[in-house]
Amino acid sequence: MTDDAARLGEGAEPDVWEVFRREKDGEPMRHAGNVRAPDAELAMHYAREFYSRRQESVRLWVVRRTEIHDVSDPDLLKPPLDRSFKKPGGYVMRDKLETARRRASGEDAGP
Amino acid sequence: MTASETKPRRATRALLTPDLPRFDAGDLDDATRAALAELLLTMADDEFVLGFWDSEWTGIAPMLEEDVAFSSMAQDEIGHARLLYEMLAQLTGTDADAIAFGRQPGEYRHCRLLDHPRTDWAFSVARRWLYDTADAVRLNALRHSTFAPLAEIVGKIRREEAYHLMHMDIWVRRLAGGGEEPRRRFERALARLWPDALTVFAPLASELRLIEAGILSTSMAELADRQVEQLTAILSSVGITIPGPRPSPAGGRDRATVSDSFRWLWTEFTMVHRLEEGATW
Repeated sequence: MTDDAARLGEGAEPDVWEVFRREKDGEPMRHAGNVRAPDAELAMHYAREFYSRRQESVRLWVVRRTEIHDVSDPDLLKPPLDRSFKKPGGYVMRDKLETARRRASGEDAGP
Repeated sequence: MTASETKPRRATRALLTPDLPRFDAGDLDDATRAALAELLLTMADDEFVLGFWDSEWTGIAPMLEEDVAFSSMAQDEIGHARLLYEMLAQLTGTDADAIAFGRQPGEYRHCRLLDHPRTDWAFSVARRWLYDTADAVRLNALRHSTFAPLAEIVGKIRREEAYHLMHMDIWVRRLAGGGEEPRRRFERALARLWPDALTVFAPLASELRLIEAGILSTSMAELADRQVEQLTAILSSVGITIPGPRPSPAGGRDRATVSDSFRWLWTEFTMVHRLEEGATW
């Protein structure tokens, strides 16, 4: 028996597990939603039923919500001072991109 | 003129599952065909009836996630039944819907293990676990069947059943190790089902023919032995003693003697079909 099963008494609320899914090979894992389950094993089964019952995923990740490190501090994410100098506006990329492409395709060995 | 009158209604009856391999029933001799038909009917009825029993939990399972999972597994069983009924229909030149929905309650051949009412959650878990583990033993004896179309669909069914077995194993361990009340309920359910625990392996009238033809690899009696070994090992691993002496695969009743609870289930699952027999939906 798993430790998870042992610590669950009557009336205990099951944990919430966040589910990520990949729709097709080569695509990134995207957040799909979440399920409640008392342990990882059942969480995986429930994720399968909720997010691939109709064969709509090729891979699932299941993460216990409490294992996720949360970053939501506005001072970190939306600092109060002007940040416009960190944005790439006004910087013309077109010529540099063109040069890089040529170099990558071997047309131009570069300086 | 309404829209429905202008459009021809789609005849779903003609839509066979793409998983059914095509075959020529004439390739089999009469005795083998009859033996195979008996086997397919018992297997299809088992899956069909379990599917309907377990679908009774839709909306009322212990939690939403399990509700979806258990209902989805019930649907899987109906899917397996459909495949087996269609194979039977192709074998006997009949119609799968007519076999599935057009019989009287006493004409169904599901095993006695699946002839009990839903009862509580522990009971439904115990019943499905006893059935799924037995069905796995039966499917294993068919996967190299000389009747290739059967071996082919059994291969596919086994891949879905593997997930069902994992899911039921989780629940057996949870109930057995989840404290006093779940364990007591699970033990009570097992004790009640025990006399019927091996009835998936009730002898078939034409079993010998199936074995001679290489359709079934092992006798039902021998498969029942395997199931007893399996059940004993799993139950001892979760600290539960076998509820009683080894029951008879024939059970107390034969497959044709159905309970009142099954008669009720029959009125439920044939309700729509009986509204207008032969209708195209």
